[in-house]
Amino acid sequence: MNGGKATLGRTAGLYAGAAVLRLALFTLFPRLPDLLTGRVEISTPVTSFKRLQEGLFLYNHNVSPYDGGVYHQAPLLLPIFNLLPSFATFPIFTYLLYIAIDILSADALLRIAESGEAGSSARFTSPRRDKRWSGAVIAALFLFNPFTIATCIGRSTTVFTTCAILHAIANAISGRHFHAMVALSFASYLSMYPLLLLPPLVLLCYDRQKQPATGAPNAWIKFAATMVMDVVGALAVLFQMSFCLTGSWEFLSSTYGVQLTLSDLAPNIGLWWYFFVEMFDSFRSFFLAVFWLHLSSYVGGLSVRLRQQPLVVITLLLGIFSIFKPYPSIADASLFLGMVPLYRHVFPLLRYSFVIAAIIIYATFLAPAFYHLWIYAGSGNANFFYAITLVWGLGLSLLVCDLAFAVLRDEWEVERPEMVGKEIRQI
Amino acid sequence: MPRLLASALSLRRDPRLLKLPPYLSLLCIVVGVVWLFLLPLDDYSRRTYISENALLPGQVHTYFGGSDQNVFRAYKHETDELAGKGNIEVNDKLESIAKGLGLKVGRQNFTYSSAGNTHSGQNIYAILQAPRGDATEAIVLVAAWKNVKGEPNRSGVPLVLTLARYFKRWSLWSKDIIFLFTPDSIAGPQAWVDAYHDAHDSSRVASLPLKSGALQGAIALDYTRETRFQSVHIVYDGVNGQLPNLDLINSVNHVAGGQMGMGVAIQEMWKHSNSYHDRLQTMLRGMLKQGLGLASGPHSSFIPYHVDAVTLQPFGDGWQDEMAIGRVIEGTFRSLNNLLEHLHQSFFFYFLMQKERFVSIGTYLPSAMLVAANFTIMAIALWVKSGQPEVQKVITEKTETAEEAEKLALPNPHAAMERDLFLPLVLVAACQFAGVVPLYLFNHLSESALIPAFVLFTVLSAILPFLLSNLLHTSATSTTTQQYHLIRSFSLLLLGMFLSSLATLNFSLAFLVGVFSAPLTFVRPCPNSPILKWLSMAVLYILSPTTVVFVASVLPDLDEKVGCGLGEVLRQAAFAWDVTGTYTPVVVWCVWWPAWIVGVVSVLGRPGAGDGKVKNA
Repeated sequence: MNGGKATLGRTAGLYAGAAVLRLALFTLFPRLPDLLTGRVEISTPVTSFKRLQEGLFLYNHNVSPYDGGVYHQAPLLLPIFNLLPSFATFPIFTYLLYIAIDILSADALLRIAESGEAGSSARFTSPRRDKRWSGAVIAALFLFNPFTIATCIGRSTTVFTTCAILHAIANAISGRHFHAMVALSFASYLSMYPLLLLPPLVLLCYDRQKQPATGAPNAWIKFAATMVMDVVGALAVLFQMSFCLTGSWEFLSSTYGVQLTLSDLAPNIGLWWYFFVEMFDSFRSFFLAVFWLHLSSYVGGLSVRLRQQPLVVITLLLGIFSIFKPYPSIADASLFLGMVPLYRHVFPLLRYSFVIAAIIIYATFLAPAFYHLWIYAGSGNANFFYAITLVWGLGLSLLVCDLAFAVLRDEWEVERPEMVGKEIRQI
Repeated sequence: MPRLLASALSLRRDPRLLKLPPYLSLLCIVVGVVWLFLLPLDDYSRRTYISENALLPGQVHTYFGGSDQNVFRAYKHETDELAGKGNIEVNDKLESIAKGLGLKVGRQNFTYSSAGNTHSGQNIYAILQAPRGDATEAIVLVAAWKNVKGEPNRSGVPLVLTLARYFKRWSLWSKDIIFLFTPDSIAGPQAWVDAYHDAHDSSRVASLPLKSGALQGAIALDYTRETRFQSVHIVYDGVNGQLPNLDLINSVNHVAGGQMGMGVAIQEMWKHSNSYHDRLQTMLRGMLKQGLGLASGPHSSFIPYHVDAVTLQPFGDGWQDEMAIGRVIEGTFRSLNNLLEHLHQSFFFYFLMQKERFVSIGTYLPSAMLVAANFTIMAIALWVKSGQPEVQKVITEKTETAEEAEKLALPNPHAAMERDLFLPLVLVAACQFAGVVPLYLFNHLSESALIPAFVLFTVLSAILPFLLSNLLHTSATSTTTQQYHLIRSFSLLLLGMFLSSLATLNFSLAFLVGVFSAPLTFVRPCPNSPILKWLSMAVLYILSPTTVVFVASVLPDLDEKVGCGLGEVLRQAAFAWDVTGTYTPVVVWCVWWPAWIVGVVSVLGRPGAGDGKVKNA
């Protein structure tokens, strides 16, 4: 698997293979898309394709798509899907759109991998960087990950966010700051939480500038301000367009408000819903604040601690979001798992790889079983499914911790060459 | 504390620790199996009790009887006339009777095809609207025209008609009562329940013309005999091993055994002395039925929809007459009528040992979980083992390169072999996906082709490991010990994972598959000892899925007759898959069979020298 540089033909073959596989799943198993769309592991209230259909129907009938409280997604998705031929008669165009988005995401990931940023950033060069997978392998691991495929077949709108985030990173690495910030704005516009990626992304842009920063002491402040202005500007344009489209600012509370206040408590694989189902209403706002504060508190700490490797910060944050965000789904996990192979060079430093793989696989199979026991068989209850979401969260958080450990150890061995191979002991 | 941690960490590298897992696995299996055999003892099983206070079984006086006897005779006369007539004619007659009683009547056509056969028919049902209810809840009384063995339900159908007439006169019902007559005992009820919940495939099963509220419970009557009987047999196994709420069985037991004074039997144990032996036999029969996951009566199709249901079968020669079973149904319906909410208090996972003794899931689940855990333990052990370099050997071989030697000479506890994951992953994944082939084959072939296909498949699956093993050796690089460890590790990990997931859905199936595949934990490549190799091969082939299916089909069944034969077993499996959605074939072909193939491949393995790079961590 340690192939050389990916040739164009090989990459094209890979994309074609992924597209054919998805198309085959769409067409050969016509009931599969609807089955997956209904799964809580794939479709959350803020990404569900079914809810998108509902919003689209209302939009087409000149009713505000947010009436009825079903649709919680960004308004600009509506004209995009409206441009496609009707889903009821020609579903193939929707399928092709989703396949294309997946391949665009994979292409961005390939560019990130080919840049070698994971192994040697501007301020840090790992001694192990030679051991890495080619971009094609990493793109293949993303494209053929069952979670990615299930997300694509389930037509969750998270794929657009995933694509935007990956393009933001890829553009930041290749030095196109403005593009990166616009892509990030799109991701934030669609799902809100990617806005938290702004600090590490700015750092990444700063490190990958074409001309290294001049001696001016406050050059970085100016740089960061420009970046922030870019994002604010892009978001302002997007909001203005949304306003023109829907005719009111209602969409803000219906999309971002739902994420902020967790008003839809449909079960998902995250850790929030159960907590807020059980909670007394008087504590609700306090804990909402605590949960959001917790989610955003990682940004600062990681950005500072891993200043030398901003891409690592982004990867770890994506992992943390996939555990702790209000409405996570396996799509978020697939994005994180897609980024992890970039760190092939620190894999030997991972301590729990087998345990993590076993936990994630166990949770993948037990979650549908327990959901079935709870909802359909009636012989289990909500605790069954919540227990499994805890296990799933444990698996992912172990991976986040272990990856952070491996990267830090890698840095540490550069700082203290005499400690190479020594065991770390907790005191 | 730090010292304790440190000593625990140093223990981690103790070479003796790696010798432990096979014994630990064996211990898990032994404890798991012994655990099961302890369950019938008084200390581990409990007496049944009614959890749902609203049920109040046996507390009401039942009035069915007297002149209803004459009504029953009249209806019996009418239905006897219909013997041998077609489904439609029968339904015409039933419809005229039900309409005469003032009930709303609906009909539903269904057609299923399975193994090249077509199973079609027409259900008819009548709804008694509750005088005190609002049509939001309903209970169902089912009488199939033929029972699961194909015998005509001679007394059951007229008795249900009599009960319909009787129930209609009462004003106390707070739930609608649906009387359902189906032409057969499995396809008909399945079609009706599917359509009732709008979960049917409308190309095969027609929608229902009228409906009532949410189903709260169902009782099916399988009453073929025309003479007096002694006891009543409660059949409660649902599709895929799901069981009705224990409260329902307890209620029927209370009414029949306590109030009516008739005997109650379960699991075809016509005589039960409440001894250890009888309890164990009852439990094992229950496990076998649950493991097969087949529908055992008209009630089975209701259970997947969370509608608690049982079938009542009168049996034995005694002095109880039709009115007695009628009163049992009346009493049970009065209890169900009392329900304020869906049955949920009592257990859904249990084994009955005797009509009044059971074990609940908390007591028996560890048994299957231990069996499943043994695979996971071994998988982890093999993973660890695959990462351990054979240090001595490597040092002596590679002292030429000074740098390497220096590195290796250092006491480096973190040294771990670079694992070559690609080949093991591909092999295990390929075997796992290959399981789709037999699954598709046995569920889509026509009946006549089933036996030849099974024979052909048995031969192929016996040869396949040899082919795979040869392929592993003719490939450019010989497969190393490490890769064999990894192959087994992944396969066992998957098996352990599937079985522990399955144990929560269908305990018995997980336990049975776990026990049959227990040898897979212990078999290993043994290139130096042909005796051990062929011994392992013999054990594996005796316990292969194909052999077990074949032997199970020729063994005598519970009624001490000859086995039903391979063709019948395959036909039934296909029917269960197509009609009731039994997933046992998936488990056999996509969980057990791939693990077995990988097991045989690893026995046949001739690992080459494991010579991987040593990496520093």
